[in-house]
Amino acid sequence: MTNRTLALLGRGYLGLILFFLYAPILVMAAMSFNASAFYQLPFSFSTEWYAKLWSNREILSAAGRSVWIACVVTVLATAAGTAASIALFRYDVPGKRVLQVLLFPPIAIPWLITGTAMLIFFFGIGIGRGTPAVIIGHVALALPYVIVVVTARLATFDATLEEAARSLGAGAWTVTMRVTVPWILPGIVAGGLFAFAVSFDQFVVSYFLSEPGDTTLPVLIYTSIRKGFTPEINAISTIIIAVSMGIMVLAARYSNFGGER
Amino acid sequence: MSGNLARKDRTRAALLLAPAYLWLTLAVFLPLSAMAFFSFLSDVPFGDRDWHVTLDNYRAVFESGTYATLLWKSLKLGMTVTALSVLIGFPCAFVLAKVIRGRAREAMFLLVILPFWSNSLVRIFSWAIVLRGNGVLSGLIDAILPWDVRINLMFSPTAIVIGLVHSYLPYVILTSYLALQAIDDSLIEAARSLGARRRTILLRLILPLAAPGIIAGAVLIFVPVVGSFMEPRLLGGRLGTYYGTVIEDQFVAVFNWPLGAALSFVLLAVILTILALASPALRRSQR
Amino acid sequence: MKRLLLTSALAMIAQGASADEIRVLNWQGYGTDLDWAVAAFAEKTGNTVVHEYFTSEQEMLTKLRTNPGAYDVVLINSAYTAQAQAEGLIDPIDTAKITHFADLDPGLTGNEDLNPAGALHGVPWTWGLTSIAVNTGDFAELPTSLSVLWDPALKGRVSIRDDGLEAVQFAAMATGQNINAITDMEAVKAKLTELMPQITTFWSSENDWNQFMSAGDFAVATYWSGSAARSQAAGLPVAFVVPDEGAIGWLDGLSIPASSTHKDAAHAFIDWMVDPEFYVKWEPDGAPATSNTKAAAALPETSFNRAVLGDPAVVAKVQFMKPVSDADREAYLKLWQDLKAAQ
Repeated sequence: MTNRTLALLGRGYLGLILFFLYAPILVMAAMSFNASAFYQLPFSFSTEWYAKLWSNREILSAAGRSVWIACVVTVLATAAGTAASIALFRYDVPGKRVLQVLLFPPIAIPWLITGTAMLIFFFGIGIGRGTPAVIIGHVALALPYVIVVVTARLATFDATLEEAARSLGAGAWTVTMRVTVPWILPGIVAGGLFAFAVSFDQFVVSYFLSEPGDTTLPVLIYTSIRKGFTPEINAISTIIIAVSMGIMVLAARYSNFGGER
Repeated sequence: MSGNLARKDRTRAALLLAPAYLWLTLAVFLPLSAMAFFSFLSDVPFGDRDWHVTLDNYRAVFESGTYATLLWKSLKLGMTVTALSVLIGFPCAFVLAKVIRGRAREAMFLLVILPFWSNSLVRIFSWAIVLRGNGVLSGLIDAILPWDVRINLMFSPTAIVIGLVHSYLPYVILTSYLALQAIDDSLIEAARSLGARRRTILLRLILPLAAPGIIAGAVLIFVPVVGSFMEPRLLGGRLGTYYGTVIEDQFVAVFNWPLGAALSFVLLAVILTILALASPALRRSQR
Repeated sequence: MKRLLLTSALAMIAQGASADEIRVLNWQGYGTDLDWAVAAFAEKTGNTVVHEYFTSEQEMLTKLRTNPGAYDVVLINSAYTAQAQAEGLIDPIDTAKITHFADLDPGLTGNEDLNPAGALHGVPWTWGLTSIAVNTGDFAELPTSLSVLWDPALKGRVSIRDDGLEAVQFAAMATGQNINAITDMEAVKAKLTELMPQITTFWSSENDWNQFMSAGDFAVATYWSGSAARSQAAGLPVAFVVPDEGAIGWLDGLSIPASSTHKDAAHAFIDWMVDPEFYVKWEPDGAPATSNTKAAAALPETSFNRAVLGDPAVVAKVQFMKPVSDADREAYLKLWQDLKAAQ
């Protein structure tokens, strides 16, 4: 085989993978425009399910709550995560290695375990279930992502810039806000977008922590699927996928994620 | 700024670090400790329920063959999904890293990673639509083949594996890609100019260098799959009982939180053991 | 002008005080969540209704335990009322607030299972049967025996609910036992072990059941009498069968959680649920039998409930389910979990 045929084969293979990854999503999106409530074919175009969606108070309020929670989580996780990243970068903190290792449990332990542990603990100390519990849980899951992304950006930062600013008489706060933060801003924005995505897509932890009547969208979708689903769920899912992917394209542009520019 | 941290700096560092780490303590480390405590209780310590400290939960986990069977079933599921994802994902990462160049590579890479950031629940749901008895796949195959077929993959282990591979494939592609990208092309060129065959280059050069990335991806897939409950529930039907679904049941249906906590800790121990075994490779991949 | 403002402000406060949002915990698609019924209730009382669903009694109890204050009305099968009462999850009913109480069948309001600790803890609402329903397209002649669930020809097209207690009860009937006094658990276990490979998936709600039936995935499945009537009304080719071995009879009550913060509105909602006006409109779409004697009398002769549940031959075969002891329930759930795990 020549290199050319190999390259061609490779591209074909990549095409197959993309087909596998996107086909079900496209089918699901297409079915949200199909008139049959039982997903029957032949396909007949209809926007009925989107119209129904607009009058479905339960789905809309869950969607609104998911967005609201994701925004709060983004602000909290980005602020706390950026502060921690700067501290880890700027100061030779004792036990730095341990602190870095401590970031892994929220990512490495299955969410099933983290989520049920949070349920037990929040119940025991009286926070109980509900939106505050969900926010506390989501921030914890998003923090490691923010710290990793911001730290990666900080690695490209020249620490002598801080020295220079300090020698010109700038205080620590001014140095941080005027020199450090502007430089790592793309990293902060990308970290924030990651935090938003983590929260907005989070199902397992929300499932154990959210309160009946105050559920987030993924939890509502899960219960709907288990109790018999309708194309309305496809409609809202299609919207979610479009939104999540849009956010990630933005995040990728800001963070050079995977690129080699 | 070496070694000796000025007191002022020390205070600043502590203030900057405090929010994040206090938060992690409140939301992750204390809950895990609470769970450890619960796993030794006879009943939940709420209201006026009677409870005492006991080893019964762990005894129940280890003495009944059921949980061992289920744990093994979940571990097998994890291995199957991981193996398939690596077999499918590594060649894909190779094409991305070594065959495609320039802007096309960036675009393709983003396309591959993108679904990973969309809601996993929604993606599992989309498979439920595709795989149903009167669903799209069945209709499509029926239209292509001349004879009457009725394919119903829904509610089978195959459905669970397909859904999980779809969910986790991007992980292994991502980590393998990063590892492959780090291999200098001139190294491969050198090997080739010395007369090495393709097979040799792959087995003796590329695979060993990319191994840490592959192992990292495999761990990232294996761990969550062993603890999965939503995917088996939605795609597995009557065959969808796994270790994860039993834990879910203890918390959501039967209200036996202490047993659920014990089951979770056994799972955690198994996973930590696996992570420990894989950690040398993981550490290498970080370099 | 000032006065106008004041009155409108007062009116708003008054409305704010009386207009509650109550949360109802029930099976999906089971009467309380009918759009027209909720709308009529909102019109009558100004209270809005939000629903939350469960897929098993176990889940219902755990939802009550872990979400104090979240629910105002909950549907509880009378076999579970005593357990909910003993755990302090529900309060006694203030029958003075149920204006239709005098019309309810005294045999049901006096039912001992609904009156744990000597007080009514659940307003009897409906009763009916859990039996099997078949796809009439698959049967030239309706089956007369529960053994149809074990028919090898129907392998992979059978379904039951994912509920250990109910599974055990069906196996008990199939092995000729009393569902409330199961003596031969080995026979039950053997019967269920045989049943598992027959099953395609478990169903969890009426909507779910209908989708599987319309897709042709089910030939025969366990089902509820009221739901079967509703599926027929929706045009599905379904027939409800009470086999010779018998059927499970149940009585559902509406209860008020002890932690409810809208108890008046909850009583008003229950009162509306036992109102003949509500029931007579619900029945043609498929409803179980009512507890309200006036509502029952108002039904036409041809109605499903009169035809099936009014038939003495059917009633003679029904085994009404009684509360299950903790030890038995644990044994049943363990058996069921082990069976599922072995798949």
